[in-house]
Order: sequence, then C-alpha cells, then structure tokens
Amino acid sequence: MWRRALFLWVFIATSTASAQEGHPLSGTWTGDWGPPNQAQRTHITLVLNWDGDKVTGVLNPGPESAPLNVFVDYSNWSVRIDAEGKDSAGKVIRIEADGKLEEMGSPRRRLTGTWHSGAVTGNFTVRRQP
Amino acid sequence: MKRVPVQRIVFALLVLLLTTTTPAQRSFTSTYDSTRKVTLEGPVTKVEWVNPRAFFFMNVRDANGSVFNWAVEFGNALDLEKNGWKASSLKIGDVVIIEGVLARGEMKQASATSVTLKATGRKLFAPLPRRTANAATPAPRWPNSHVRLGPAPGSKGYWGMASAKVLVENAAAKVAMNDDGLLANLADIDKVAPFKPWARAVYEFRQRTLLRDDPLGRCIPPGGPRQFQMPYGFQFIEQPELGRILVLLGGGNRNWHIINIDGRPPAQASEAVASYYGTSVGRWEGDTLVVDSVGFNEKFWMTGGGLPHTESLHLVEKFSRTNLNTMRYEVTVDDPRTYTRRWTGGWTIQWVPDEELQEYFCEENADPAFVADRLEERQ
Repeated sequence: MWRRALFLWVFIATSTASAQEGHPLSGTWTGDWGPPNQAQRTHITLVLNWDGDKVTGVLNPGPESAPLNVFVDYSNWSVRIDAEGKDSAGKVIRIEADGKLEEMGSPRRRLTGTWHSGAVTGNFTVRRQP
Repeated sequence: MKRVPVQRIVFALLVLLLTTTTPAQRSFTSTYDSTRKVTLEGPVTKVEWVNPRAFFFMNVRDANGSVFNWAVEFGNALDLEKNGWKASSLKIGDVVIIEGVLARGEMKQASATSVTLKATGRKLFAPLPRRTANAATPAPRWPNSHVRLGPAPGSKGYWGMASAKVLVENAAAKVAMNDDGLLANLADIDKVAPFKPWARAVYEFRQRTLLRDDPLGRCIPPGGPRQFQMPYGFQFIEQPELGRILVLLGGGNRNWHIINIDGRPPAQASEAVASYYGTSVGRWEGDTLVVDSVGFNEKFWMTGGGLPHTESLHLVEKFSRTNLNTMRYEVTVDDPRTYTRRWTGGWTIQWVPDEELQEYFCEENADPAFVADRLEERQ
C-alpha cells in the first residue's frame, strides 16, 4: 500500500513540472506494450524530435535501437509509427503502432493505441517525460 | 514513544504536496464566464490583499433565505494601491453591493466590475485616471546623443501599459480577441500568424480549451515578446560603460536579463543555452535599439493566446522611443519549425512618469485551492 502511495507521490511531484510547449510529440516517451497481463508487457522508450518538416525518432535508444518513421494527422492528433526491430532471436521484425495523443496540454501527455510487433499484437501506452 | 505508520507519513506527504505545489492561478478567460453577469449584496467576512488577484469574501442570502459565502475578486493589489486604495478601505462587516461576472463551474466566486458600499453609496476600488507624460516632450538623450531608454537624469519612470496584450501579424486584418488572446471567432486563426499545420493545431487546441494550460498561470516566466506586454511594466537600465542593457521586468516573476551592446556578433542558437529570455545582442540603428535573440527554451507561450514556438525561435526586436512618453516595439518572429515564413508584429508602450516598479510576485495566491480553502461552509 505505502509503495503505491509513494509512487503516486512521485508521479504528482513530476506531473507538476513545467511542460514542453513546442511540438507536442518532441521529447522522450516511456511506457510499455503487450497484452493486458502486466507480467507479459515489454518496456519501451521512444525519443521523438520535430525537425521542422517531419517527426523523426528512435525506439529504445542504445545498442538495440531502431529508427522510427512517424506520421501525424494533425486534424485529430493520430500518430502512426513504424520501425524495423529485432526479436529475441535477432530476427528482423516489422513494428507498427497506431495511437492517439491525449492530454496534449499536460507535461506528461500520453500516446496510446495498438502495437504490432511481428505476428504479435497488443496495446501500448507511453507518457512523455517532463 | 508511539510509532507512526509509514503509510500515514506517506499520506501526509501526499497531502502536503498537493496543497503546496499544485499549480496555479488561471487566466481570467479560463476562470470567469463574462456572459454570466451577477449582482451580490451582503456583509464582508474576510479581505485577502494579495498579488496577483486580491479577494474579499462576503455572505450572500439567496432567494430561499439561505446564506452562502462568496469569493469576490476585485483587482490586483499593486493597481489598487496605485489608485490610493488600501486593504483597510474595506472592513469586515461592511455591507457591499457588487456587480460582476461569475466564475465558470459551480464555485461561488465572482469577479467584480464595481463594488459599492451600501451605507454611503460610495464606489470602492475604482481606478483613477492614468497619469501620462507630455507626449510633446522629446525623448531624453545621453551625452553622445543616443536616446535614453530610461528616465532623464534626476527623474523616475518605467515602461508600463502595452497597446496590445497579444502578438498578431501586422499584415493581418484586425482580429477580434479578448485581452487574454482568446479569439472571438475561431475562423480567424489563420489571420493571427502563418502557422505550420502542427502549430495551427496546437494553437486551436489552446483556444478551444480557453487557454487553461497557459504556463503563465503556473507562474512560468513570460519569455519572448510577452515580457513587454505584462502588467506592471519593465525598465531598461543602460550601462554603456559595461556594454550592456539590463531589462528588469515588473510583472511575471520579477525576472531580469541582459542585452549585450558591446559589439559582439549575434549569438548562434546552436551555442546558446536554452532559456526563457534567450541570448540577446543589441545594436543601435539611429534612434532604434535592434536586439537579436536566440536560445529560447520551449517552456513558455511567447504571447497570450497560445502562439507556439520551438527552440529554433529567433527574434529581432526593435525599440524606438519616439518621445518621452512612447516606445514603439516591433518584433520579427523567425521560427521555421513553427511558421511557414518570417512575420512581424508590434505595439506601442506608454511611459509611466515619476514612479518606480513596485513589488509583485506571481506566487502569492497561485494555489488553485486559494479560494476554496477560504470559502466558509454554508451557514
């Protein structure tokens, strides 16, 4: 119980930070994807950047990173992301995500939707780090 | 000694955090609905003489005879004091009649447009006619003939009211909006500035949500052109011997920043540390101070109404003091990640003679629970 409360406290403390008021997708986003069962979900990090013409990005920066293609429909802030990643065996797999930006005015705005990784389908939620 | 469970400590910390750091006051537009007029009468129960919004509380009897405590916003303490009013101008127990507009939502809160003492009919907290310098008086000058941006030697003053509260493109047809930058007609969005699609969508979102996320409401500094539109003005402190001009801001959080005029080249955005006021280099072109600024962070709205920008923002500002009383301010916005082309807007700023910037801090009642905490329970 107290751990959950502590987490809530940390969450509130970070959510009162100042927002990034530029392009709403720019920044580092963290969360997970997978089936509803929490034990089977996979942590993901997206680093997105608005270069003036398009949103570019990287999935899971580091040795296993994958460049992202990002397409945004500004009429409804729907976001399509695709990339070529690798599965646990090192085999190249296609990753596709369709999401929607929510809570756009918040420092910890959210991107949520469906995630396809190879033959596996799940949902995903990432929040922007303030 | 009795041990306090960890859960209780964590819960107490949670409550403390929620009641001490949660932002903040919101703009007038997102707080009040100017279409909902109200008249209230009753005795005053409490006076809170604070910045940026002074309140008094009063008991009002409704049509059913029940008494409710109301919060009434009646101005800013600095403005009230300039007009000769004091916290003691209104006493607990005074019966007042207020006319004003209601807050959005169900909170018993109003913003007064007039406050009248019932016993005498005297109007309280009305503004005095604003003093201005003589427009015919030429701008003061330094011995080297440069225009002074501050007061003449031996006198006082600062730059006060801007003629526009919102930055829009000069070339645009007149765009109807309120002082917070809320458009009267959303169809006018494209007249405000040459937005890229994402920026237009962000601006529209901010307009549709009544500017509720304005960082200024969280006491974030008013970076960019907005610093020259704030209530309570600003002041230039010219230090030619040091090759710099200090800009002291009377509004916002009483910030200051430097304009370097020592002949150095304009800063490069890639080398600047991103900040609210950027890295500024100025030069004189005749009687006009031209300031080139880059290195802005993305944590602020550069004007009311929610115009977005990115760290690519580059501003060229021109300050032209045409006489003692008037400064013409013009800014060219160059942010290729946000706008399809460079664009220019501006306004004039009035000199406030014989006065100095006064103490103002944004945070005094920035807590959104400020009003709710003080409203009495139903009696």
